[in-house]
Amino acid sequence: MTESEFREEEPGGGARLGTRARMLIAAAAAVVLAGAAVVYAAVASDGPTAARESDVPGVVRADGARLRVLDNGLLSEVSLQDPSGPRSVSAQQCDRAYAAAGTVACLRPVGALGGTHLAVLDGDLREVRSIPLTGFPNRLRVSDSGRMIAWTLFVSGDAYAGGEFSTRAGVLDMRTGTVVASVEEFAVTVDGRPHRAADVNVWGITFTGDDNRFFATVGTAGHRYLAEGDLAGRTLKTVADGVECPSLSPDETRVAFKSAVGGDPARGWRLSVLDLATKKVAATVETRSVDDQAIWLDDHTLAYGLQRSDGVNDVWAVPADGTGAARLLVPGANSPSLQPSRDHAEVR
Amino acid sequence: MRRRKAVLAAILATAGAVATTVAVLGDATVASAATTTFTPVADTYVDNSVTGTNYGTSGQLGVDNSPVKRMFLRFNVSGVTGTVTGAKLRVHTDDVSGAESPSGGTYRAMSNTTWSETGVTWANQPAIDGATLGSVGSVTRNTWYEVDVSSYVKGNGQFSIGVTSSSSDGADFDSRETGSTAPQLVITTGTSSTPTPTPTPTPTPPSGDPVLVGAGDIANSGSGDTATAALLDNIPGTVFTAGDDAYDNGSTADFNNYYAPTWGRHKARTRPAAGNHEYNTSGASGYFTYFGSSAGEPGKGYYSYNLGSWHIVVLNSNCSSIGGCNAGSAQEQWLRADLAANTRSCTLAYWHHPRFTSGANHAPTTSVGPLVQALYDNNAEVVVTGHNHQYERFAPMNPSGQLDNTRGIRHFVVGTGGAGMYNFGTIQPNSEVRNNNTFGVLKFTLHAGSYDWQFVPQSGKTFTDSGTNSCH
Repeated sequence: MTESEFREEEPGGGARLGTRARMLIAAAAAVVLAGAAVVYAAVASDGPTAARESDVPGVVRADGARLRVLDNGLLSEVSLQDPSGPRSVSAQQCDRAYAAAGTVACLRPVGALGGTHLAVLDGDLREVRSIPLTGFPNRLRVSDSGRMIAWTLFVSGDAYAGGEFSTRAGVLDMRTGTVVASVEEFAVTVDGRPHRAADVNVWGITFTGDDNRFFATVGTAGHRYLAEGDLAGRTLKTVADGVECPSLSPDETRVAFKSAVGGDPARGWRLSVLDLATKKVAATVETRSVDDQAIWLDDHTLAYGLQRSDGVNDVWAVPADGTGAARLLVPGANSPSLQPSRDHAEVR
Repeated sequence: MRRRKAVLAAILATAGAVATTVAVLGDATVASAATTTFTPVADTYVDNSVTGTNYGTSGQLGVDNSPVKRMFLRFNVSGVTGTVTGAKLRVHTDDVSGAESPSGGTYRAMSNTTWSETGVTWANQPAIDGATLGSVGSVTRNTWYEVDVSSYVKGNGQFSIGVTSSSSDGADFDSRETGSTAPQLVITTGTSSTPTPTPTPTPTPPSGDPVLVGAGDIANSGSGDTATAALLDNIPGTVFTAGDDAYDNGSTADFNNYYAPTWGRHKARTRPAAGNHEYNTSGASGYFTYFGSSAGEPGKGYYSYNLGSWHIVVLNSNCSSIGGCNAGSAQEQWLRADLAANTRSCTLAYWHHPRFTSGANHAPTTSVGPLVQALYDNNAEVVVTGHNHQYERFAPMNPSGQLDNTRGIRHFVVGTGGAGMYNFGTIQPNSEVRNNNTFGVLKFTLHAGSYDWQFVPQSGKTFTDSGTNSCH
């Protein structure tokens, strides 16, 4: 088939097709339809009957665990049991969100009227605290107790993936009100030696259960280290190299992170898991580049955001041990965090 | 058979773009009309008894008046050639008890074609603000119903349809998630009244109208700039740059090392704009030295020229480097005087920092607002920028970012010249098309009284975007 022959028969211009051609088209269409049906089978499994008529309002039931997500920047909530089902969409705008134990943290969009803020909301999404910050929202975490909040902002957004960039990571203690504007102020130890350098960047904080120790990425001299931090002691000590955006497992034995492909972030990141005791790294089966700070749904499962080429995000899940397959968890969402079960019948 | 395969290939290509496209062609003896069927790219409904809930992934759509349920459908009609002679919407009722209703709803056009399928709720629903297209009377379960929408769907484009019901006994339809019973938009095309016998159509012959083609965020040590420069090799016309032409610092060395071997091949027909990276070199002196008089008066970075019946304005959005962009600033005053003196009927402007963008790396640049206002006040048609490394097309908007199909300016972000791609953040209102995995150039064909745009992708990539608009 040549180009000119192709052009001769543009559809819509009075093309004449014989029976065989029409059959081919029907078969092709059927294949497309079948593909669509498979894709949507899981999504729509309880669709037609789940939200029937007025006597069964299709609100998100809160009698099981839920996921808080951002739905194109709006703080939203879905059932973990039915993450593709109806979702509650609030009017709260965030570029990044994370919730734990009744503390909902939200990095507000940079707007015409000013820079970003850390907004702290209660479980009913009422704002209880607001801190103005400088930079572009990137990462956000709340400790499991709901007490500590940590954020990362890009101070310069230029050429982030490829080369130079600058971050600022801070911490708010909701109990004392103390703010650490930048953990770069902490005493940094690299490979056991005190390290002072102007190029130190810290990003991607994840808390341990004691609300004092944490893990984060320390970038300096071309390395991206996993560092263990101590808020009271104001220290950061590197424990591994090549680990970005750590996320501590619930049992605190492993760290999920993004591993630069071939050590070069310009080539993307592989979602991987580091065993803190053995320092062994296992890549997950997710081969697409994951530029996110993953969360743990349980001790065996990670969830993370992936963006389509048109800017729509989806939350995916994958086993943490390198087995299994990635699965679509929440279409059209990002920035997930886990809300444990609670007894209320409905949520806002 | 060769011909048949060709048609099949074309249909399959379309099917890939719109998820499901089935061409049903008439009998060979009356092969003067063809139909193309599109399924929605988004459909959902809202319910006033649960004002914050979204049903975008549901298999069902509902219209009702108690509680009030409204459904929203959006179609992306593309690849349709020939004269559209008919368009009908087909919806299928659910095969469940209760799906039946005395009313299948009233169907209306909507101006908002960018709502989010998984974000729409009763509380934030888009307005059903267009003409009434038709109504469906009583419906029974498991049945197809049709509404003539030919007064609304007349060609390629994005179309939103909102459905309401005045019956307290609601109707339930199948959503796109159901697959075979998803809503359909069936477009019929026929031969035009005078079937022009063109046995071997060649590519559209050059109309003689001027072409303006380019991108921003271009030349560095990578290979993206090489790919986009190769596109320019085959596209005649004037070349624009939307800033960040030579990384990292716009120095003379950067221009010589990265820009000159790629886009520099087309320097003689290039009218550039300066980005923030050019100003990493003091006064953007590397930029002004490299481009010389093509860049306008040295140090200013804003100038204008004419192409056919179009007036082209190049602005400098590095506001702090040139005394600001605010109303009353030297540049804003120059712009207003330039536009006032202009006698061409259509106007396009380009610069670096986008007033409107959904990019994750750079927020919208409000400081260029007074420049956008001046262009709007003078009925400009198009603004092209870069800075966020991606492609984004907005619907025509007023300077506040509200949809304005009468006088609005269509904004493009074309930071696809070669520098590494950026993510998108929250998708902003009226953003119609986005892509961040394809380097490419944006080509405008500037007609008298209208313009065509076409995103031309790098070799080996398939993303594209095209359309036509009239001048104001």
